[in-house]
Amino acid sequence: MASVIQIILNGLVLGGVFLIVAIGLNIIYGLNRVMNLAHGSLYALGAYFGYTLVTGKVLLFGLDFEFGGLNFFLALILAPALVGLVGWVLERVLIEPMRDRPMIYTLILTYGLMFLIDGLIKANWGDTPHYIIPPEFLQKPVYIGDFSYPAYRFALLVGVAVVMGLLMTLLNRTRMGINMRAAADIPEMVSALGVNLKAVRVGAFVLGCVMAGIAGFLVGPLYPILPIMGHDMLISSFVVIVIGGLGSLRGVIVAALLVGFVQALAEAVITNFAMVIVYMLMAVILVFKPYGILGEGKFE
Amino acid sequence: MLKLEDVNTYYGGSHVIQGLSLEVETGAAVCILGRNGVGKTTTLRTIMGLTPARSGSIRIGDQDTRGWPAHRIACSGVAYVPAERNIFPGLSVEENLRLGARPPCEEGREGWTLEKVYEYFPVLGERRHGGGAKLSGGEQQMLAIGRALMGNPRLLLLDEPSQGLSPILVENVARIVRDLCREHDLTMLLVEQNFRVALEMADIHYLMGTKSIIQDQVTSEDLINNEELIKCHLSV
Ligand SMILES: Nc1ncnc2c1ncn2[C@@H]1O[C@H](COP(=O)(O)OP(=O)(O)OP(=O)(O)O)[C@@H](O)[C@H]1O
Ligand SMILES: [Mg+2]
Repeated sequence: MASVIQIILNGLVLGGVFLIVAIGLNIIYGLNRVMNLAHGSLYALGAYFGYTLVTGKVLLFGLDFEFGGLNFFLALILAPALVGLVGWVLERVLIEPMRDRPMIYTLILTYGLMFLIDGLIKANWGDTPHYIIPPEFLQKPVYIGDFSYPAYRFALLVGVAVVMGLLMTLLNRTRMGINMRAAADIPEMVSALGVNLKAVRVGAFVLGCVMAGIAGFLVGPLYPILPIMGHDMLISSFVVIVIGGLGSLRGVIVAALLVGFVQALAEAVITNFAMVIVYMLMAVILVFKPYGILGEGKFE
Repeated sequence: MLKLEDVNTYYGGSHVIQGLSLEVETGAAVCILGRNGVGKTTTLRTIMGLTPARSGSIRIGDQDTRGWPAHRIACSGVAYVPAERNIFPGLSVEENLRLGARPPCEEGREGWTLEKVYEYFPVLGERRHGGGAKLSGGEQQMLAIGRALMGNPRLLLLDEPSQGLSPILVENVARIVRDLCREHDLTMLLVEQNFRVALEMADIHYLMGTKSIIQDQVTSEDLINNEELIKCHLSV
């Protein structure tokens, strides 16, 4: 049985991944009022792009070719950027034209998109599991006394911290970030102050997709990369933003860690039952605390 | 500076502004007076491009701005202070101001800076790092005006600056805005229900009845001397 420290660290790792995915979903919702059901598929895409870039085996529906393969860290930047590019196209072509329609349109649209992307992934990369091979120095366990833990998992935690730091800097220190936070509050006033709201919304959508892509890549060396990997992640990140409260950053952090720990516990001890508790908690929060666990959410 | 001719605006199917025409000369302080719900806010929103006009012509400076998106109209030198102030609650006072910042339209003109705004409104300086949501009504109004100034506008649109403020604060805001416009060659279009505030802030007045302007522009003196007009069109 796993030790307590191990479970805590595993919880942090899972929670960190949930956090990045859920914040992406949250940013997209906050600015575009789109509950992006294809978010999990973009997460999967991040992992597949990562696999392709690191191995250098490019599959293009039969037009396959090979190159040397990229450095892991270079791929860690490029793969999410590619996911962001996909997000940009999706926003321009599918989301923007639906802007003034009721939310059910984008809900159905992104639901379809989820199957479309998953289908394309399956057609291109197949059903067999893939892995992203991390750099050599991250492949060994780290020993602290007689306790050992995989180095890559520590690196992932550092990665999550760096991503969160960059995101906070973007949101708090840059003009684009201030525009985004303001547009989440009162979109109309942002445009009355001379800011192109469409550009802010595209930016937020792309940012959200990049976050999903980063998380997918980071998970690539830990779990098998499979076409359906996005489904569980979509559910988990959805649970996280409901528990945390839509639009509440602090709430999402708390909720991501909570769900991360429960899942780590579930994997180690009580298996299936733990996640049931999380779903029950989500239901209770939805009914009694629609603004999330800290009551800081902006939308019901 | 601003000229509206036969403007029509709808909310969905309801025809809220019907054939409205008005003119604001450069440097003037003009007020649209009218009762509750006649369409004053909608008039400003139409000029700002937030509720676009369906027909008619809107000229700002020498440009026909009808059909322009709001951000383009803002960038051409129009600032809007809504009656609700619309302070961003998630942003600090300073971030609210920085969001409004835009270089001056006319080259060479000295622009507004954070420091200058804080000089005019010291209370904003004191709370620069505090949240926008924590301000009192009067402070919010000052922030909304300061934020509008940061865009270096030529034309200032003010929606009921007196709303929700105590009489002393109203007096205060009115004086500050008047001085500002004089000192910085700002053209102002104001809408009000409160006749006294209108007199204090503007020199030229339009009376608005349901859905349109009903009386050609009058000066403040005319307005004072014509109680009939006021009784007819305003609930005093
Ligand atoms: N978003 C909206 N959708 C539909 N109708 C609206 C909307 N906003 C305002 N109206 C209607 O348009 C008319 C004019 O409203 P407007 O807010 O412009 O009036 P106002 O003169 O500013 O009133 P007040 O003195 O209350 O601020 C009103 O009859 C109002 O009910
Ligand atoms: Mg109004």
